[in-house]
Amino acid sequence: MSTMKTTRDVKGVGVSIPRPDGPEKVTGRVQYVADIQAKGLLHAKLLRSPHAHAKILSIDVTAAKALPGVRAVLTAKDIPHLKKKAPTRAHAVLAIDRVVFMGQPVAAVAADELSIAEEALDLIKVEYQVLAASIDPLKAMLPGAPPVADAGTEADTSEALAHSAVAIAKSEAPAKAVNISQQARLQRGDPAKGFAESDHVLEKTYRVPMVHQGYLEAHAVLAEWDRNGLLTLWASTQGSFNTRSEVADVLGIPENRIRVIPVECGGGFGGKIRALCEPITAVLAQVTKRPVRYVMTRREELQAGMPAPQVIIKLKTGVKRDGTLMALDAETVIDSGAYSGAVLAVSAVFLGSMYKWPSFDVRGFEVLTHKPSVAAYRAPVAPQTIFAIESHMEQIARDLDLDSVEFRMRHLIQEGDPMVNGQPWQSNGAKQVLARIAEHPHWKSRKQWVAAAGKNGKRRGVGLALGGWLGGLQPTGATVRLNPDGTLAVLTGQVDIAGTNISLAQIAASAYGVDTDLVRITTGDTDVAPMTGLSAGSKTIYTVGAAVLQAAEDARRQTFEIAAAELEASIHDLELTDGKITVRGMPDKGITLATIGKKGNLYMSKTPPVLGKANPAFTQQAPGFAAQLARLEVDADTGEVTIQDFVIVQDVGKAINPLGVEGQMQGGAVQSLGIALTEGLMFDDTGRLTNPSLLDYRKLTAADLPNLETIIVEVPAPAGPFGARGVGEPPIIPAPAAIANAIQNATGARLTELPMSPERIALALVNGKH
Amino acid sequence: MAKQVLSCTVNGEAVEVLVQPYVTLLDALREDMGLTGPKEGCGTGDCGACTVHVDGKVVASCLMLAMQVRGRKVRTIEGLAAADTTLHPLQDAFVRLGVPQCGFCIPGVLMAAAALLEENPRPSEEEIRYGIAGNLCRCTGYTKMVAAISEAAGTLASQRSAR
Amino acid sequence: MRRFDLVLPNSLEDCLKILAERGAQAKLVAGGTDLLPQMKNGVLKPAVVVDLSGIARVRQVQNGNGLRIGAAVTARELELSPALRGAYLAIAESAAMVGSLQVRNLATVGGNLCNAAPSADMAPPLVALEAQAVIAGPKGERRVPMADFFTGVRQTVLAPNEMLIELVVPPPGAHSGGQYLRHTPRRELDIAVVGVASQLTIADGRCTKARIALASVAPTPVRAIAAERSLEGQAVTPEAIERAAGLAIEAAKPIDDQRGSIEFRKHLVRVLTRRTLTTARERANA
Repeated sequence: MSTMKTTRDVKGVGVSIPRPDGPEKVTGRVQYVADIQAKGLLHAKLLRSPHAHAKILSIDVTAAKALPGVRAVLTAKDIPHLKKKAPTRAHAVLAIDRVVFMGQPVAAVAADELSIAEEALDLIKVEYQVLAASIDPLKAMLPGAPPVADAGTEADTSEALAHSAVAIAKSEAPAKAVNISQQARLQRGDPAKGFAESDHVLEKTYRVPMVHQGYLEAHAVLAEWDRNGLLTLWASTQGSFNTRSEVADVLGIPENRIRVIPVECGGGFGGKIRALCEPITAVLAQVTKRPVRYVMTRREELQAGMPAPQVIIKLKTGVKRDGTLMALDAETVIDSGAYSGAVLAVSAVFLGSMYKWPSFDVRGFEVLTHKPSVAAYRAPVAPQTIFAIESHMEQIARDLDLDSVEFRMRHLIQEGDPMVNGQPWQSNGAKQVLARIAEHPHWKSRKQWVAAAGKNGKRRGVGLALGGWLGGLQPTGATVRLNPDGTLAVLTGQVDIAGTNISLAQIAASAYGVDTDLVRITTGDTDVAPMTGLSAGSKTIYTVGAAVLQAAEDARRQTFEIAAAELEASIHDLELTDGKITVRGMPDKGITLATIGKKGNLYMSKTPPVLGKANPAFTQQAPGFAAQLARLEVDADTGEVTIQDFVIVQDVGKAINPLGVEGQMQGGAVQSLGIALTEGLMFDDTGRLTNPSLLDYRKLTAADLPNLETIIVEVPAPAGPFGARGVGEPPIIPAPAAIANAIQNATGARLTELPMSPERIALALVNGKH
Repeated sequence: MAKQVLSCTVNGEAVEVLVQPYVTLLDALREDMGLTGPKEGCGTGDCGACTVHVDGKVVASCLMLAMQVRGRKVRTIEGLAAADTTLHPLQDAFVRLGVPQCGFCIPGVLMAAAALLEENPRPSEEEIRYGIAGNLCRCTGYTKMVAAISEAAGTLASQRSAR
Repeated sequence: MRRFDLVLPNSLEDCLKILAERGAQAKLVAGGTDLLPQMKNGVLKPAVVVDLSGIARVRQVQNGNGLRIGAAVTARELELSPALRGAYLAIAESAAMVGSLQVRNLATVGGNLCNAAPSADMAPPLVALEAQAVIAGPKGERRVPMADFFTGVRQTVLAPNEMLIELVVPPPGAHSGGQYLRHTPRRELDIAVVGVASQLTIADGRCTKARIALASVAPTPVRAIAAERSLEGQAVTPEAIERAAGLAIEAAKPIDDQRGSIEFRKHLVRVLTRRTLTTARERANA
């Protein structure tokens, strides 16, 4: 058995403790949904539309039903209370009379074997009438474009607005633009005047395609009903309570007749915050009266998952020769696929108010197209937005011969400065992070390093960028229970995706006053846990950590009250050390935690069991900023990029568990680098995905990357547990701009379209495009 | 279609199991032999989550038919630790250095790393990176993995010289 | 995958008997690295699959007067084979690039060739080294030059009752060297956007034979004949190489697809031809 060290000095917070589930993971013993065996298990497969936009004229399932081993074949008419006009993607369980993206489910099969289910799909005959499709969002925005949403459907933007946690002004829709599902406009001052007074005006359009979150475990769910009509879902999900609510709403079942058990999740990154396969799998299980398992194939994930939106940002800035900011005009178009769900507000905030623009006009549009609809992807819309503003700021600095860092620092916001909506920026470490990366030897020595490029046709460049995330908020709850042996049991409903459980244990241990070794975190399912939100938005430690902290403090107070009564002392004279509460200065007068715990569980005892509880809601966000720097070489002939060094500096408020924090920084950075260099869902103009496999949807391998250096900065968040901020999202944000800036430094070419593939780089050099 | 008898050695033990002829080695291991350590991440040999050893060589088990290992030796993550359940130095290093996050890629990575160290006991950083380049990981960014593999190589070397 | 019958022949003769009876509905599986993905995607739905892993005859590499490579030799075996050094190095280089280690331990040279994707990495070096495909069928064995083996995208000269059993590579002679290079966006797990194999034989400072084969720029691997001719009989100078690299583009008829545009592929043909010719010359002169 490996020995894991804990510390007794700081009681846990700030110490690098390996995750306790490590041994189960390295031995292959951890169970994911597809690993769960069930008696009489049936396997589900979905028949998916081959057209991006079509009417369904007829579906014949006779031959499929007759195949031996097939236990059910369903179409929409077999699910009576499906809403005719699906307000969200989850509601479109099976298409009723129209399909709105290629890959949309049209029929469902449950069979004894997966192979039989596949053959059954071949036997289902669907007649389609193909309709014109809206694929390019800029065309889809125009009046007369083929409509995506059912006429009269309200776009459900509640999730998007809640996630953005920024109130923004809405504006009037242009006449008859049927596919604009959300819009916003924010203004300050007189931009026209600002531009007129500028010496340098720069206008560029930045484009980022849809990208897939890339979790290695595809969506998977196992559904089973008991004889009382209670549904159990074993789900790979980032939010068991959210899944429960969505399934209840979609299928018209009361929430307390559904139990969602969050199974170990093989990656989510925002792609598993919404229900997707759970409703149809539940219906198949109900109809067949057997447990049914549905696991998406990788091809289905890429074609019909819930990716990040395509983003097109037209950005125009006006600046004086000495670098004074004058005006900013931006138009962001977010292609959300067939259903609304993008987080529009984030883009506006970071375009207009990461730097202090005295005047701006920022317009945002969410546009629907006949493509798979989006969910979130780690800092939704932020990497794309920062790609635009940080590329642009770098270009301005270059054009005006200003130092990149000084120019940014001069205009960078700090606490109290107004955001685009007038609200003040909360405490944040943007300046500290930028200052820290500027001190790095790779930045200070950049000119010499670039000049030392060998004569092998490779050109060297160094680039950096800064980005941030506002930090999510969601109400939550936690309980802390003292066991009869003096150990602690902490219960939350929070799915542990980022290794947060060990940090929560460290927080509980530190707040209560015991070693982390003595604390065990249980992640309860929706039947047993307090309500909790998504494991997303960089808010787990910030919110659930705060709840655990408060619950642990509550438990400590209860414990001390019991001890005070037992020891006939004042609560203020007591201290807790090494599992024993003693009267200060009288080490023999004490009572152990174990004794208190036992008393709370004895027959006829008058001592209550210690049960600390907290159920907070939150109002104060805690923004997290990260800066990244890349040193790279470009093969000028082939366009291939080799990243030689990569540095991530991030303000985490307080690193509860530095080991875990580093892992988040490095993982987010590699996703960011993938967006920068190799990733993109490529649709042709009929809406067909042309790269539906991991061969052509390129995620970076270990051979494509150097070691990623991490530097933790701590600017405490006023309301964070021990000052902690969320850490998950900031690291995915800066790399595309940092890489673009480094490529420009190396080659002179300014690329504004992602990914910056070897083809784009090589042809930019061949064609002299700057 | 009748099932066929697959006779092979799995994790050191002789195995005889009935399998459908059209199932992959990955599916036979997971569904017919209860070894759910190897995972399906893509089914087309593009991610490495299904990596096992066949006759000592790393293979994508999602691309082999189960019957193709008849008479051969298969080793999965369940067979990496010692018979007395002591963790292999790679497993131990991965735990201590905080490598696993979601954990889904880990069985495949460990099998690739184990084969690498058996063939090349003192790999350079570049050789380690190429040794696991067939294994995609979305959570970790690979840096801690490389460090853990390097550390385990050192541990194995001192174990060898201690004998 | 949809269900199928699986046959496990123990000898080449057994295998040929099965193909004679059921070849039209059958697919051969060796490494499965191209076949299984296509079956999983529903592109191929064979009723019968014939497993070649029990047939020893197709698994050997022999180095005598020239090379004989069994069709079921894996890419990894070729990558590491001591027989594939010197003038044959380009074959080992191409094998080393296929997929990943987990794929190379399964993928076979025969599978790579018979799958006949335009991007097949092992094809260009074998074309450049003038290999011959040995094909077994009901009437015995026949040989087809590698350059004529491919007839279209995923199409070869093989009839349904035939199978590729061996590749024969003639000795290239003294002072012959070659290289295979390809461009991919990632360093592993990737597929050639363009691949080029160049093989040069040099005597008395002049090129006596030049062979340049291109992958991923036409429905089949193609020889850049005008480029080859521009070098033969000449001193292989950087100028001659540059001229040949420009002429190689003429042989390329690439398409625009999600892996690369026509413009980029033509550009890469020039770059990779230049680079492989430069290395081929160094290796020939070594």
